[in-house]
Amino acid sequence: MNRQFYLDLAAAGLRMPIGTHLILHGHADPQTIALDGRRLGAVVLETAERFGTPLAFPLMDLTLEKTALLLACGVPEAEVDAHHFTVAPPVPERILLTPRMRASCEAIAHVATRPDVVPIGMAIGPFSLTTKLMADPITPVYLAGMGLSAGEDPEVALLERLLSLSELIVHRYLRAQIEAGARAVIICEPAANLVYLSPKQLSTNPALFERIVMEPMQRITRMLAASGVDLIFHDCGELTTDMVRRFATLGAAILSFGSSRRLWEDAALVPKDTILYGNLPTKRFCASELTPGEVERLAQELVEKMQTAGHPFILGSECDVLSVPGKETEILGKVDAFMRCAYYV
Amino acid sequence: MTTLEQLSEAVGAGKAKDAKALTQRALDEGARPGDIVDKALVPAMAEVGERFKRNEIFVPEMLIAARAMKEAMNLLEPHLVAAGITPKYTAVIGTVQGDLHDIGKNLVVVMWKGANFRVVDLGTNVPPAKFVSAIQEHRPQLVGLSALLTTTMPAMVETVRIIRTSGCPPVKVMVGGAPITQQFANEIGADGYAADAGSAVDKARALVGAA
Repeated sequence: MNRQFYLDLAAAGLRMPIGTHLILHGHADPQTIALDGRRLGAVVLETAERFGTPLAFPLMDLTLEKTALLLACGVPEAEVDAHHFTVAPPVPERILLTPRMRASCEAIAHVATRPDVVPIGMAIGPFSLTTKLMADPITPVYLAGMGLSAGEDPEVALLERLLSLSELIVHRYLRAQIEAGARAVIICEPAANLVYLSPKQLSTNPALFERIVMEPMQRITRMLAASGVDLIFHDCGELTTDMVRRFATLGAAILSFGSSRRLWEDAALVPKDTILYGNLPTKRFCASELTPGEVERLAQELVEKMQTAGHPFILGSECDVLSVPGKETEILGKVDAFMRCAYYV
Repeated sequence: MTTLEQLSEAVGAGKAKDAKALTQRALDEGARPGDIVDKALVPAMAEVGERFKRNEIFVPEMLIAARAMKEAMNLLEPHLVAAGITPKYTAVIGTVQGDLHDIGKNLVVVMWKGANFRVVDLGTNVPPAKFVSAIQEHRPQLVGLSALLTTTMPAMVETVRIIRTSGCPPVKVMVGGAPITQQFANEIGADGYAADAGSAVDKARALVGAA
């Protein structure tokens, strides 16, 4: 899609949360809707309309690919949530999309019938998916960073096999969403952060980050580009500046980071045709000490700093805004508080 | 440098093979197993925690250090059991119901073990009744509740409420996790809150009166 489209949205002062979870859970039967593509698509459109944006973000669900992969590997459905691999599984003969994935694709197709919105797909990043497949993903990552190979250490061998399987299922799901009509996709790679990857180790061995995070992402980027689909890259984990610098090379239309980043400083690292999105602390919106007035102040401050930085920017959430039982009204009130900021600038 | 000092250094650097070999050497030299724990392993993990708090090392280095300590403990445990030496304090920990995340909780387990707590890890997605039952069985001084998701914070509220009203032995409750704040901890009646695994040790020691 024309990159100018996103730049125009930023220039027009678009503000929006990733808010589908919030709106979905305002309905009486969210679980049923999530399995019904047409109704889910209607909720995605309702969300876009509620927040006045042409960007129709899907429901952010980072469990879909793990479920599909484990079922393909023969793990019983009841064990999927808690299952972790301890030995490398063989490559499955075929990976079927789950009912939730099929509903997400149908939702995209439903959204795609509307010419005034951009249907957006979603997938977890390969590295983040890999971390969900192992009981302790951090140690093998560190061992790989120490130079141990798959042949030398079984944990490293498991890491590498699972990373390649993760990439397989992510590509499979992305292709299905593109076929359904996605014109952009958001790749969520929140585990690519300094909890899983030691900055101390990366300072002496940056090749590890390239191998297990960047190279799989670059292959996704090439696949998307070949399909004419835009990349929105999201990582709400705690990042180093070097990580941001590397993510800035992905050619994303939009980069979305967590509230630990100072976007006005990151602007210097990011190409001028890549929008920075975020990054209000929406994970804390359910905390009563963060008042709507404080949210409004934070939003105003962020907008002003981004204007000073002179970088294309869309004010928004640091991640998808989750609906918390009993706190729905409070959270929505804080989202509305930062949405009001649009009219002050 | 003494063998215990070398062992402490090996654990801090995450050198598991060296830690195992040095533990064996310390035993061969006649060191008492309890002294190896108290004079080498606990100080090593305390230093790891301090370096973590100062941002000199990060989570992976902490885990690698814990891995080295585990190698040493595998050798020491039979000796400790034979000598009737057990940790003075017990803690029960788990991620609350509905939440499958365990990285943060696992880090706290590592650091509490490093501070010589006996830790009963209930895992993830733990219903309140399982916490109560573990408190009744293990009689801990401390219970740790973890939550990563804002959507599972209500489960933490419910867990604290049930622990407090279940009639189980008195226990200090400590909470933590990405969306948790000191104010939230106060609101739900928890005794303590820690923002990260490093400070979770200090808070735990203070709550049980070991500080």
